[in-house]
Amino acid sequence: MSISRRVFVKSGGLALFSLGLDPLFLARAAFASYRPLPSSTTLSRPILVCLFQRGAVDGLNMIVPHGDPIYYRERPRIAVPEKDVLDLDGYFGLHPRLAALQPLWDSKSLAVIHAVGSPDATRSHFDAQDYLESGTPGVKATPDGWLNRYCQHDREHQDTPFRAVAFGPQLPRILAGTAPSLAIDDLQAFGLRAPQPVARDRLTRAFEELYAGSATGLLSTSSREAFEAVQMLQRLDPGQYRPANQADYPRGKLGKALLEIAQLIKADVGLQVAFADVTGWDTHVNQGATEGQLAGRLDDLGKALAAFTRDVGERMRDVVVLTMSEFGRTVRENGNSGTDHGHATAMLVLGGPVNGGKVLGKWPGLDPAQRFEGRDVAVTTDFRDLFAELLARHLGARDLSAIFPGFTPDPARFPGAISV
Amino acid sequence: MIGGVCLSIVGAQHAAPLQSPTPATALTPRDSAFHALNRLAYGPRPGEVPRVAAEGVMRWIDRQLSVDGIDDHGLAERERQFQVLEYDRGDLAAMYTAAQRERRERKLAAAPDTMADKDAASPIAQRGRRLAGEFADLAVVRAALSERQLYEIMVDFWTNHFNVYFAKGADRFLTPDYIEHTIRPRAMGKFADLLIATAKSPAMLFYLDNWESVAPGTSPPFPRSARRRGGQGVRPMPKGINENYARELLELHTLGVDGGYTQQDVIDVARIFTGWSIERPQQGGDFEFHEWAHDRGDKQVLGVRFEGGHNMDEGIRLLKLLASDPATMHHVSRKLCQRFVSDDPPDGCVDDAVAAWKRSSGDMRDVLRAIFHGPDFWAAENVRAKVKTPLEFVVSAARAVDAQPDTSPRLAQVVARLGEPLYLHVAPDGYPERETAWVNSGALLDRMNAAVALAAGKLQGVTVALDSIVSAGGAEELIGVVNEKILGGTMSENTKQVLRRELAGISDPMQARALAVGLAIGGPEFQRQ
Repeated sequence: MSISRRVFVKSGGLALFSLGLDPLFLARAAFASYRPLPSSTTLSRPILVCLFQRGAVDGLNMIVPHGDPIYYRERPRIAVPEKDVLDLDGYFGLHPRLAALQPLWDSKSLAVIHAVGSPDATRSHFDAQDYLESGTPGVKATPDGWLNRYCQHDREHQDTPFRAVAFGPQLPRILAGTAPSLAIDDLQAFGLRAPQPVARDRLTRAFEELYAGSATGLLSTSSREAFEAVQMLQRLDPGQYRPANQADYPRGKLGKALLEIAQLIKADVGLQVAFADVTGWDTHVNQGATEGQLAGRLDDLGKALAAFTRDVGERMRDVVVLTMSEFGRTVRENGNSGTDHGHATAMLVLGGPVNGGKVLGKWPGLDPAQRFEGRDVAVTTDFRDLFAELLARHLGARDLSAIFPGFTPDPARFPGAISV
Repeated sequence: MIGGVCLSIVGAQHAAPLQSPTPATALTPRDSAFHALNRLAYGPRPGEVPRVAAEGVMRWIDRQLSVDGIDDHGLAERERQFQVLEYDRGDLAAMYTAAQRERRERKLAAAPDTMADKDAASPIAQRGRRLAGEFADLAVVRAALSERQLYEIMVDFWTNHFNVYFAKGADRFLTPDYIEHTIRPRAMGKFADLLIATAKSPAMLFYLDNWESVAPGTSPPFPRSARRRGGQGVRPMPKGINENYARELLELHTLGVDGGYTQQDVIDVARIFTGWSIERPQQGGDFEFHEWAHDRGDKQVLGVRFEGGHNMDEGIRLLKLLASDPATMHHVSRKLCQRFVSDDPPDGCVDDAVAAWKRSSGDMRDVLRAIFHGPDFWAAENVRAKVKTPLEFVVSAARAVDAQPDTSPRLAQVVARLGEPLYLHVAPDGYPERETAWVNSGALLDRMNAAVALAAGKLQGVTVALDSIVSAGGAEELIGVVNEKILGGTMSENTKQVLRRELAGISDPMQARALAVGLAIGGPEFQRQ
């Protein structure tokens, strides 16, 4: 049985998700209709896209608490001036270079969770990234990542090689584990490589037959998945892909990763969990305010996300994008016009199922007495409560305690990122 | 306690073949040689199977167990090309901090809108990167070329067992020293010696944070130097004990997760190791015991009392105690059996290894000998039962075609692409010993691509001369030679048929040979060992 058929059969049993379509995405759907829709768009399959802002993003300059004078007092050189902030709710506002996300906020498809982070106090990138990916803060020996554990415990979707895909050269810690997951550095280069298509097809067929005839055990199942994936991609012809709705992805790694994710979503290959890294957030020196290092990275992030939602179009009704980072940065700027390693940060959640247009979480305030160890934004939302909410309410995970061992997710503590 | 009784009886039975000159197996001499070369070595080189079979596989195994008796001057010659070995950890630290300083200054000087400094890495940063790449490649080169094959496999085993993460801060310049001077000299010795050496190694102390673990309320007598330790000037002084090393020591390095210890044991182990630190870690300093940071109270671990006030001796005593604990023997022996016998090793071979461990007080040569002489190692169901790890695949492929690796990081990059980059496993458990960790669809396709490139002489980082291994002949002859020399006679009928058909359309004999070798190395038989 071909993989797409199996996906269809599997997914047929799924409850249709988020029928309350977002007006924005409906508008986009009208745009998209110049292109014949593939027959399988009737499927509705929730998808989670995780972007890891590695290096610790400064949550305070990404989602600016412009209503708090302490913010301006503590950051004389790098604060985003009040007049430049794109106000969200009277107190918080977007960094001006995230302007591309404003329409998503307005259409209630974008929510912000502020003061979110790890219960562990470490300020080491290494440890904090490790804890965020393993989902077990303070415990180093956890062998797998929480996204992989989700895949292990929800086996309903495992029949496609594209179920869990990391876009990058290697599988990240968050997807490490026993559930099959793919690392794809370049969609076009996935599969056997040969100078000419004819030679490539021939090589592919030869290896496929070698494995079909003699492989046993895990080698047999994995190779079958591999050749199914190759076939699916061949039909997809990623080299010919043109984004829909004039979506204009910024050049660079993030734009490319999101474009490839959009492609897989629209191709209905069974993608459920996607992951990509976004680097360049460790702004110890010359961080900048409305312009500068951080502004450049945010510009790229905002434009890439906006292009992605435009390109994915009506399918955004099934998609949630989460940005996450290992910790935030100091409230006070340092002597090099930058910020040092802090504690809580802000995470963005966007997509059709999102309870958007809100800054969620309990804001602890910036007063030194309210800070963590007197210097950092305190964590009021354990990141596991946010992750658990997305897994449970968006992907439909049932066994959250198996995904986050040693932690009891409690819906009462969910930040409310998903519309219910 | 029934288990304990069984253990000794079974151990005695299994120990019997110890003296036998031939393996306890129904395999032919050639098949036993092929099996041993796949498990105790990174696969056979051309001509090695008949050579080991002629020598007698048990005799060859005994030679591999006495490392010092094996001449390895060829490798020594190659090692001289690796500049990274000329720098000690102080040199590497100086290089690393200079590169960091330069990067920082450049950022400060740069116009606020320039965000990337990666485009123009300074010469010193480039040199650091090159040396790091060289170091990863060195592991591949040693595995491929050393005559001391079993020794290199044990180095890999312990590197994994006592994992550190190269990309964590100071471990960028501490790891090479760790491999060269902590792991390698003790890879075939007594477990306790290796355990103590890792506990005192700056790389491990930094990786699992023990260097910062201090008794609550203590502070250094010279605060000036302590301030400098923090690197970026904002790091708060350590305030108390850090349990990370203590926990992993019990769970991963010694007793195992079911080893019968409690959280209170973890805390007391951490208290025992307070003060085990590093002299100026940012400058690549050595181990240093800080008496001021040591917890002077009494401790109790696994029911054994450690009277306070004995400073470093407490830790040494604890490590020796842990090294000879039955749970440790079982945990580490089982991992060794996973590596050498089967992902799910039978109890019998684990019991044999534990018995040998007891007899020899943890001498790894005796433990390994017991495994290789036991019936499980040779049992039909365990032959070709394991799938090669990424490192094993890359190195065995290079060896199969007698490839000569250079000092560039290319081959190590192939290992990384297949899923297990060297020295870059983040978590302290090391890369798992079970195939589910590395067998997946993407990695399999990458193996096929690497195999095809290698056979075509297009894999960067190695020189291949197929002429000396496979003469270009007719299809049948080609298939026969590839089966015998590269697959050790394990080629299936199906593979032969596919090769026959694919070769039929090719007139160029060189192309035919490259295709046959590429399909064989990328195919299912070669993935197993």
